[in-house]
Amino acid sequence: MLALCTIWQVKCLDVKRHQTLAVLNPFKAAEHDMMQDTDLAGPLVFCLAFGGSLMLCGKLQFGYIYGIGVVGCMAMYFLLNMMSLTGVSVGCVVSVLGYCLLPMVILSSSAVLLSLKGMIGIVLTVLAVVWCSFSSSKLFVSALSMENQQPLVAYPCGLVYGVFALLTVF
Amino acid sequence: MDVPSEFRNPGKRRPKKGGTKPQLYEDTSMQPPPSEYGAHHGQGINMEGYNPSGYGGPPGAGQFPGAQYLNDPMANMAMQYGQSLAGQGTDFVHKNLEKYVSTSRVKYYFAVDTTYVMKKLGMLCFPFTHSDWSIKFNQDQPVAPRDDINAPDLYIPSMAFVTYILIAGVVLGTYNKFTPEQLGIQTSSALVWLILELLILNMSLYIMNLKTDLKYLDIVAYCGYKFVGMIVCLLAGMVFQSTGYYSTLLWFSITIAFFLVQTLRVKILPHSEDSNYSRGSKRSLYLILSISLLQPVMMWWLTGYIMFTK
Repeated sequence: MLALCTIWQVKCLDVKRHQTLAVLNPFKAAEHDMMQDTDLAGPLVFCLAFGGSLMLCGKLQFGYIYGIGVVGCMAMYFLLNMMSLTGVSVGCVVSVLGYCLLPMVILSSSAVLLSLKGMIGIVLTVLAVVWCSFSSSKLFVSALSMENQQPLVAYPCGLVYGVFALLTVF
Repeated sequence: MDVPSEFRNPGKRRPKKGGTKPQLYEDTSMQPPPSEYGAHHGQGINMEGYNPSGYGGPPGAGQFPGAQYLNDPMANMAMQYGQSLAGQGTDFVHKNLEKYVSTSRVKYYFAVDTTYVMKKLGMLCFPFTHSDWSIKFNQDQPVAPRDDINAPDLYIPSMAFVTYILIAGVVLGTYNKFTPEQLGIQTSSALVWLILELLILNMSLYIMNLKTDLKYLDIVAYCGYKFVGMIVCLLAGMVFQSTGYYSTLLWFSITIAFFLVQTLRVKILPHSEDSNYSRGSKRSLYLILSISLLQPVMMWWLTGYIMFTK
């Protein structure tokens, strides 16, 4: 049992590091086959971290995060299947959206220290949402080869992350 | 003496390296050749990704202990069963969904690109300079919006609807009235009003017995375009209070009414050239006018109570 856990962790850590680096550097082009290996552990870790940092701000909203996450993933899955020539799988959508939640986690941890309702807070929130949506749209576009539609994919991703930002700020 | 041995040793080593290399490539043969930067990363990941599922090839250097547990046939069977279950579930959903909503038709409404969206948004904000409102393609087949600027699409209405819910949440947040339940409340009430409006329009089209080319999804698209104006009204109201809200509401009422009159005139009117010429065209004219005037009323109804909850 312990051996199985070690295998799982070592395998996932390598994938996580690779994809986390892809999210953290939004200006580097993504590889086409990065999303072949869908991984749901990383997104789960990021969601829990997001909920944990919101808890530090005094908002116990794990249920809402889960609900919004599921609804957002279903909506993106439906939209991407309609818009792309090849379809996507649910695992790929959940994986990409979950990994790109990382800037949101950074934003909510900074909300512990400074209030996000001032001018700096608004700028930081907008920056985080733009960063999340840019990197997730980059990953989707490279996985589905929809080159001239990147802004169209980025906008729904921005909406999903905007709802998370709404939870963080208000 | 040294020189020949040196020459010989590299020669001996090379076939061995060549022997192991094809095995590595066989493991990762399903992947496209990785790029130069990601070569080491890719092969490292692929090796660890494929080896545990027992696709063959010996574990390379640095392989984790216990990999043989995942070569267990029971684990393989369990994984394959899980995958087949997932596949069956997707097939079941697709078959049942196909009965109600034809997925291939809906796909036409989402075949948009960035230039179409930009131009359509410009048309929604300022339709007075656009001259040709007819759709150039054959009406029997659905037209992909990226081919014709006048074709309706479902991308803009759905994005505008979700953005409207978000902006409503932001406005409520600035009044310190935001809770996450509010998002659900706003969504469901806006959806109910939208569905009510669609029902009324479909009933009136059916009752008036007009021969049109308007499909059901076209009406959904046209009713969804007003959400673009509503978003701008809410933003203006947030920044400029009442004056901003009312002036943008007036502007977008005029533009959406004009837009709908021009679009529906092309779609509805040419088909009432049958025996009841004058009566038919009068009916369709009344219908177009009522649809166009219903939109500003709905816009005011759905945004007014958000702006003025204090």
